[in-house]
Amino acid sequence: MDIATATPVPAVSARRKQPFNWRLLIRAIASWIVTLVIVFPIIFLVMTAFKTELQAIEVPTQWFFTPTLEGFHEVQERSDYLLYARNSLITSIGSTLLGLAIAAPAAYSMAFFRTRKTRDLLMWMLSTKFMPAVGALVPIYVIAQQTQLLDSVLGLTIVFTLSNLPIMVWMLYTNFKEIPPEILEAVRMDGADLWGEFRHVLLPLAMGGLASTGLLCLVLSWNEAFWSLNLTAAKAGTLAALIAQYSSPEGLFWAKLSAASLMAIAPIVVFGWFSQKQLVQGLTFGAVK
Amino acid sequence: MAFLQLRSIEKFFGELRAIKGVDLVIEKGEFIVFVGPSGCGKSTLLRLIAGLEVIDGGSLWLEGKEITDLPSSKRDLAMVFQSYALYPHMTVAENMSFALRIAKVDPRIIDEKVQRAAKILNLTPYLDRAPRALSGGQRQRVAIGRSIVRSPKVFLFDEPLSNLDAALRGQTRVEIAKLHRDLGATTIYVTHDQVEAMTLADRIVVLRDGLIEQVGTPLELYDKPANQFVAQFIGSPQMNVLPVAQVPGLRTLVQSVPEGGFVGLRPESLNVGPAGQGHLQGRIELVEALGAETLIYVSADGGVQLVARQDTRTPLRAGDAVGISVDAANAHVFDAQGRVLRAAQRAAAG
Repeated sequence: MDIATATPVPAVSARRKQPFNWRLLIRAIASWIVTLVIVFPIIFLVMTAFKTELQAIEVPTQWFFTPTLEGFHEVQERSDYLLYARNSLITSIGSTLLGLAIAAPAAYSMAFFRTRKTRDLLMWMLSTKFMPAVGALVPIYVIAQQTQLLDSVLGLTIVFTLSNLPIMVWMLYTNFKEIPPEILEAVRMDGADLWGEFRHVLLPLAMGGLASTGLLCLVLSWNEAFWSLNLTAAKAGTLAALIAQYSSPEGLFWAKLSAASLMAIAPIVVFGWFSQKQLVQGLTFGAVK
Repeated sequence: MAFLQLRSIEKFFGELRAIKGVDLVIEKGEFIVFVGPSGCGKSTLLRLIAGLEVIDGGSLWLEGKEITDLPSSKRDLAMVFQSYALYPHMTVAENMSFALRIAKVDPRIIDEKVQRAAKILNLTPYLDRAPRALSGGQRQRVAIGRSIVRSPKVFLFDEPLSNLDAALRGQTRVEIAKLHRDLGATTIYVTHDQVEAMTLADRIVVLRDGLIEQVGTPLELYDKPANQFVAQFIGSPQMNVLPVAQVPGLRTLVQSVPEGGFVGLRPESLNVGPAGQGHLQGRIELVEALGAETLIYVSADGGVQLVARQDTRTPLRAGDAVGISVDAANAHVFDAQGRVLRAAQRAAAG
């Protein structure tokens, strides 16, 4: 489930009274419809999570029922939720910090010390995202196996970092490019060294971009499923792996699957909700300056 | 002793040799202006001195110490940028005190210096404002304030007035001149505007294609230009440079002009009179009556364009046939390569 698309789009509010604005009304209705279509699977998931297995497979769907925590209990009993949650937390925060530490200097040099090759290099980095992840599965799996990083939190963190790096460098690069280079030259003339330049000017001016890049990376890593499923087993599995446990092999248990999914996505949805202003601000940094 | 010395400074951008070996000695307290057409390397030369570009050849000396490879932050120079380059997230006071705070100067001394600079620049009421709440002229004053607070060894100005409108430009120019007189700080100022160069400079450095064409006081350059380029670059409207091949009459008028050479005449050395009189005949193309002075553009025999300046008004109009008399004593003589053979005699004597 992609959380980024699941946050509801705020509808256009019809504030002006006179005269009646039909276009605004149509736009409001249209945006509500779009929002409901996007949010519907989430609502359905939440409902199913609070049903019994029998209620969950009933057709037609029951919209009103007595909620039960049965699914959650069973998930908690059968698997160690906290272990998976901890793994998710460590891998997403770890890959975000590691990614920022690598992407920020890279983007800095590309934005402020451009050469003729800079554009090509950026395109090449992005092009690595054109390839399906499964194309790199065998080599990455073998490398992980050889280096004892299979089913380890460290290995997963490194893979997450690598897979997010191109996007992080791009986001930070476009963000840094908004800062006039003369400002950094002025800092140097004012006697600041590289660290001072970073701390006193680059960091405050690029804070929005750094924050939104970090947030996006956090969300992407949290939601990542492909590598967590393929590179982990019992020890380093993330919440994505936890969800997958409930879809096979003994057939589908909708209520338990939904309960597990809800427990997996709830933290990041709440997190995204609170930081959405920052996310949007960072993504539109140049436009609203 | 030389205060700031450039020794055969060179700069390459890829294959392009942007600065082709520049030697220059600047004394303490001097106001030096780098002037030249776009792409002549004047801004690059300033950035090399600032340390914002790497010097590829030669060496740079400040107070007897070599600073060729010293980073900008260690050179103790201050720069005022064309785009002001203020720190948008700091107030005016924070902008002005930044360098001192970095240097960990006592906060009381910082405050004192900021207040004094703000007073000099009329910025006291704006100290708590953000740069975006200021007008262009005020921003430029903050940028200047940021450099004077530090009392650096050298002030560097990179076309500081080109983003201001004409009235403000004139006013700020006067302020900069006054500031330099009061502080007596060594200053290097880059501009493409020769009026700024003439009014501000102790000495002007005229650059072309990465080379110094001539160094001298404003009037030296005006009266004794080393070549045709400097002669035409300094002075507005520019000097009339006539090829003798097209105007053979000049050879009898002005002595010892070589084959293929040129005669240079400032607009004030030409006098427009009735047709049939004077040394050259022509027809008026345009009259610019500026009030205090009148500029008369004439298309003369031999197909040459001339401009004459007089400080009286004229009844003449476009299309009138006129005769032009030439003040031969104030003629400059250039050879076929544009090098000066003889500067204006009266000016040279004076």
